[in-house]
Amino acid sequence: MEDKEKRPIPVMELKGVTKEYCLRDSFFSRGSTCVIAMNNVNLAIQKGEIFGLVGQSGSGKTTTGRLMVKLENPSKGVIKLNGEPLSNIQGKALKSYRSKVQMIFQDPYQSLNPHLSISETILEPLIVNKIGDAHSREQKVINTLDIVGLAPAREYYNRYPHQLSGGQRQRVAIARAIVLDPEFIVADEPTSMLDATIAIQLFKLLKQIRKKYNMAFLFITHNLAAAKYLCDRIAVIHNGVIVETGSTNVVIRYPQHPYTKKLIETHPGFNF
Amino acid sequence: MALLNVENLTVGYKTKTGLLKAVNDISFSIEQGRSLGFVGESGCGKTTIGMTLMGLLPENASILQGDIYFNGSNLAGLNDKQWRDFRGREISMIFQAAMNAMNPVIRVDEQIIEAIETHNPEMSKTDINEKVKTLFNMVDIPKDRLKDYPHQYSGGMKQRAIIAMALACNPRLIIADEPTTALDVIVQDQILKEIKKIQKELNTSVVFISHDIAVVADVCEDICVMYGGQIVEKGKREEVFKCPLHPYTKTLLASYLSLDSDANIKVPEIQKAPDLITFNGKCCFAGSCNCCTAKCKSHSPGWVNMSETHQAFCFEDTLKKDNNGR
Repeated sequence: MEDKEKRPIPVMELKGVTKEYCLRDSFFSRGSTCVIAMNNVNLAIQKGEIFGLVGQSGSGKTTTGRLMVKLENPSKGVIKLNGEPLSNIQGKALKSYRSKVQMIFQDPYQSLNPHLSISETILEPLIVNKIGDAHSREQKVINTLDIVGLAPAREYYNRYPHQLSGGQRQRVAIARAIVLDPEFIVADEPTSMLDATIAIQLFKLLKQIRKKYNMAFLFITHNLAAAKYLCDRIAVIHNGVIVETGSTNVVIRYPQHPYTKKLIETHPGFNF
Repeated sequence: MALLNVENLTVGYKTKTGLLKAVNDISFSIEQGRSLGFVGESGCGKTTIGMTLMGLLPENASILQGDIYFNGSNLAGLNDKQWRDFRGREISMIFQAAMNAMNPVIRVDEQIIEAIETHNPEMSKTDINEKVKTLFNMVDIPKDRLKDYPHQYSGGMKQRAIIAMALACNPRLIIADEPTTALDVIVQDQILKEIKKIQKELNTSVVFISHDIAVVADVCEDICVMYGGQIVEKGKREEVFKCPLHPYTKTLLASYLSLDSDANIKVPEIQKAPDLITFNGKCCFAGSCNCCTAKCKSHSPGWVNMSETHQAFCFEDTLKKDNNGR
C-alpha cells in the first residue's frame, strides 16, 4: 500500500490492454467472429510483490500471462517492463526481455523436454543467453537446484524428467525460471496438477524465492485459498474484464463485485 | 445388504522391478444411494480401485486376492465378455481426464447414443434421441451443442457430457474418478451439485475418488482415507474431518488451504511416498509420521475403533502419542 503512494515504476504494467482472437467464419464469407479474451485490462505489479490473478477458465487469466511473457501481442494497449513499453521489440531486445521475464507453466508433465536431463534443462537458458563459462554455469545450476529444494543437487543433476514426481518436476520448472535471475515470473496455475500436500510446499518455495530475490510474480489461479495464502494483492478477472482488485485479505473478506462473491461462495469448504 | 461389498482386495501390477501392490488388502462397502469418497495422495491406489470396480485394469495388473460383491454376485471372476455387458449398465464411470475421455472424431451426441444402443438394443431411435436430450438437459448443455465435436466444448462442458454418458443407462453405481480436477471452482461447484442432485434423484450410489479433501467432504457421506495402497482411516465424513485419527489424515487436513487459513500456518511435510514394491506390510506412513514409534517399524498396524463407524489403521499407542503431541 505504501508503495502505491510513492508510485515507483512498476516492474510489470499493463495499460488498456485488449486482446482479441479472431476466427474467420468461412472461406467465402466476409467478416469474422472475434473473441475478446482481455478487455481494457490495467494492472501494475510492483517489485517483490506476488500478484494473484483469479478467475474462471476462459476468463483471460492465461492470456494475460502469455502477453506478459510476450508469447503473444496485444491487439490494443501497452505493456511496460520497468516503465519501458515493449510494443515492437525484436531480436536482441526481445531476447533480453525474455531473460528478464520468465514463466512457470501449469502442467509439469508437459512443460519439460523429456530428452533433456535436469541439468540440461536448467543450463539451457544460461547457454542461450551466453552467461558465464561451463564451470560457472554448472555451479549456478547446482545452486539453483539447492534453492528449489532438489537437494542433494548432484543426485538430481543427471536425471531425466520421467524419473521425477510431479512436485519435483515443478521444482525443476521453477529452477529453470529463476536461473537467469529474472525480474518477473508468471506462474500459471503451477500447482493445479499436484496434491495439496505437495502444492503447499511449492507455495512455501515461491515465497522463499520472492524473499530471497525480491522478484515480482504474477500468480494465475482459480483457487482463491491458494491466492490468499500466497498473494499480496489480487485481481479478479471475469470474461476478460478485471472486476475487482485490491489487497488479498480485503478482497476476500469484503468482496464487492457479485462475481467475486460467487467465487468465494463456490469455494469448496467443509460445510456439512 | 450393501450394494457393493469389497473384501480384502489386493491388486498388483507386474513391473520390471517386481510386483507392485497398488491396492493392498482393502475392504469397504456401500449401501444403495450412499456416497463413499476415497482421498489420498497421487499414487496411493485410488484410481486402481476405480479401475478394478470397472473391470478396466491394464494387462499387467491383476486381482491377487479378495472379492468384489456387487448386488450379491462376485465381480472378481468375470471374464471380458461378462464385463462388457455389465459395465456401463450397472456400474459406470466418470473419468478423470474429460479432455481425453471422448472420441475426438465422433459427434458428442452419437457417442452417448452408442452407449444407450449397446445396452438397450430394443429402444427406438426417437426414444434414444429423447433420452439424450433429457440427459443433456439434466447436465445443462444447450441443445444446439448436441451435434458438436468434443473439441468444440469447453472443459466443463466435456465433463458434463461425460456425466451424461455415465448416466445414459441408469447405472446403480457411478464411479467418479477426480471428475472436477481439471475444472475451475465455479464449474466444479456446478458439477458437484449436479452429481449430488443426480445421486439423490436417481438414488444412485457414488464412489467418489479425489485428492481434494474439500470436494470429497462436499459430496460424500462416508470417507476412506488412503495412503500407500491401504485404507488408513474410514468413517462418516463428520467423524473423519472433525476428529481425524490417523497421522496422515491430520497431515492432509493441515495442508489444505481454506479461505480462512492463516498465511503463516504450520505446514507438515510429507516425505517420499512408500515404495510399494519393497513394501513389507508394516505401517506405510511410518517414514513420514512424526509420532512413529519403534513398534510402527516392526509390527503391522491394526484397526483401532473410535466408534462403530470410525476406524483408523494404526496403533493405539501411536494415536495417543500423536494426540498428546499436538
